[in-house]
Amino acid sequence: MSVLELSTPRVAPLLQGALRDPIIWLILLIFAVGALTSEYYLTALNIENLMRSIAVIGLLSLGMTVVLLTGRIDLSVAALMIFSVIVGVVVMAEIGPMLGSRWLVRGNTYAGPIVPVILIALTTGIAVGALNGIGVAYFKVASFIMTLVSLTALRGFNYVLTNGHPYYLKAPLYSWIGDSKIVGIPVSFVIFLLVLLALMGFVNGSMRGGRFYAIGGNEKAALYAGVKTQRYVVLAYAISGLCAALAGIIFTARLKSVDAPLAAGYELTAIAIAVIGGTALAGGIGSPWRTLLGSIAFAAGLNLLAIWGVGTWYQNLAIGVVLILSVGLSKMSRKKTQA
Amino acid sequence: MLKLSRRYLLKTAATLTVLAAAPLAIAPAAAEESVHSIINALIKKYSGEAKAGMSNGDVRALFEKDGFRDYLDVYPVGELAGGFVWKPGMGASFVGPYSKLQIKSPFTDYLPLAEGPVLDHNKKYRIGLVFHGFNHPWLISLADTAAWEAKRHPNIELEVIDAEFDDNKMGQVIDTWIAKQYDGIVLWPNREAPMGPPVDRAIAAGIPVVSLDRRTSSEQISSEVLGNFYANGLQQGLYLKHAAPEGNIIFNRKDLGSTADSIRTGAFLEAIGNTPGYKVLANYHTNSQRTLAFKSTADALQAFQDISVSFNTGGEEAMGALDAIREANRLNSAPGGKKMMILANDDAREVLKEIKAGNIEMVSPYTPLIGDIGIRAVVMHIGAKAGLNEALPKLIMTPNLPMITKEKMNIEGIETLTPDEWPYAYGPAVAG
Repeated sequence: MSVLELSTPRVAPLLQGALRDPIIWLILLIFAVGALTSEYYLTALNIENLMRSIAVIGLLSLGMTVVLLTGRIDLSVAALMIFSVIVGVVVMAEIGPMLGSRWLVRGNTYAGPIVPVILIALTTGIAVGALNGIGVAYFKVASFIMTLVSLTALRGFNYVLTNGHPYYLKAPLYSWIGDSKIVGIPVSFVIFLLVLLALMGFVNGSMRGGRFYAIGGNEKAALYAGVKTQRYVVLAYAISGLCAALAGIIFTARLKSVDAPLAAGYELTAIAIAVIGGTALAGGIGSPWRTLLGSIAFAAGLNLLAIWGVGTWYQNLAIGVVLILSVGLSKMSRKKTQA
Repeated sequence: MLKLSRRYLLKTAATLTVLAAAPLAIAPAAAEESVHSIINALIKKYSGEAKAGMSNGDVRALFEKDGFRDYLDVYPVGELAGGFVWKPGMGASFVGPYSKLQIKSPFTDYLPLAEGPVLDHNKKYRIGLVFHGFNHPWLISLADTAAWEAKRHPNIELEVIDAEFDDNKMGQVIDTWIAKQYDGIVLWPNREAPMGPPVDRAIAAGIPVVSLDRRTSSEQISSEVLGNFYANGLQQGLYLKHAAPEGNIIFNRKDLGSTADSIRTGAFLEAIGNTPGYKVLANYHTNSQRTLAFKSTADALQAFQDISVSFNTGGEEAMGALDAIREANRLNSAPGGKKMMILANDDAREVLKEIKAGNIEMVSPYTPLIGDIGIRAVVMHIGAKAGLNEALPKLIMTPNLPMITKEKMNIEGIETLTPDEWPYAYGPAVAG
């Protein structure tokens, strides 16, 4: 009798399923190779670095996963993550003088209260995400086009609102988000885990969340079954916007500043991670949990290459190869399932 | 006891190396005024006049709109470390390890380190150089000089990483080197703001950090090897004032907020701000890209028939502008049928070729060949941390370099050099 058979009936299938998953083995392999080849790979400091990397790209990818589940795409996430924080600072910088205070001080340092900045950033993320969703769902603009236009416009807005200058964000709460730890775990990673748990509960654990799969699997069938597909598409984009804003807050908290050109191209990383995690670009397949695995595999692999001192050109090459393999494996496994 | 005496010997050796170079560096200073000092005095003069007010409304409006004063006021202008005096012809020649091009590096005698092992000869020193742009001639040359200096010292192990213009990636590279307990870090930051926190983390971990050319927002950084952006923009302005008391200018500028744009363009505006004859026709940000500069100049040529000056914050922009002007057959379309004046920065070989041909009027050299200073500086900081030598100053100014013009000229005391007198040009050779 194997160990797995001895386990509780609920845990055993989960564990067996996990062990059959190539991405779990890939992650274990990366960590094993890392531990064997570098004395620095499993140090507390490097693991912290790893968790911080996962937090930002993981949040972007989680939002992307929800949109991809509906069979659509969101190219605006990276631009939005910066835009939302910039809006937060700019709005507060305008409000300050109305209240008799100057919150943008010399050197473009934001010296006002930071909680409203965070709240405005989150609201902006949701609002822009919802606008994308409305364009896609109600005005029938192709999601690729709609979000590409948003990406371009938001990048432009980022420059217009900042006039090309960075805003420094040095508030203690912001530094705490960027640099502090809770029982050894970076705050940014804790935030990522909380969002992951919430999304797992909603997407995989609720009837409403299941509708994302239904829409991505067969939108017409979902519509005829009475699902208000348009609302769910808007909701998916709003969730993506919220995740992007959260990623932006974590990202800029680490850099203690926000600057218009930051995070260029991160939308492609978010798509890559979702795909590595097994989310189908055609929709209907994937989960936040698997996106977590994709994020870990992606960040741990890159971190290992960095520890080895491998140049970024080769790192990019490795990403490309892993991505092609992931898509190939995912197609093969889907064919197998259908057969 | 043995440890103490070895440390003493190393410290003495390091101090002697620095002192051996010092008399060479200090002696000529007394003999004549250096280019560096002449240009610094002109910076002071024009900056003071601009602060008192700019009579040219067009120039003043642009200067104020983009907040140049904030940047110019904090950009250091000062003397060279160790009393060094640079003269044309100084430096070392070698083949760039990355570009495989023949290089003459101008400042190899600045803060010199003797060839051979450094500091503790029995220790291996791991140094990381992170920059952006292994696909850009200026930046490859920067890495070339750093790698050359590192190779001269067998106990230095240099890791060079291209962060591909992603500030966050550069921060992650630095964090990885902190985890790997590197001995020193040299960086070329693209933007100031986002690179401060990673540098502060490295400093907090006890790793000396030296930035090259551009600045970070860190106040803890060990040293900043600063280029001569102020001298660049100022000399473009001085040349224009010398060549034409009036003109309609179009601007091809780098990213708004980058040090290169803020200081060069700001210094140019300071220099011409009290001359009433100049008019700002158009202002573009072409982000160091030749294709964007080409496009913006082509657009400007359509919109304006009376352009007389093309100001370019960088050499790539100048080449893009020249291509557009040539394609439109407008090289001699300035008012009165005069030649359109193209002002450039960055002494790439192709820019020098165009100066020789009379197509570009002048270039203010901005050499990328300063990576070697960064390596030497970080080694000396590592030594200072171990008590092996004296610490270096935080600001390591690179010498102001005189502008290059087709014919030799004297502009407000600056003796210009011709392309043939300039062996330090970087980038691939060009035919013709």
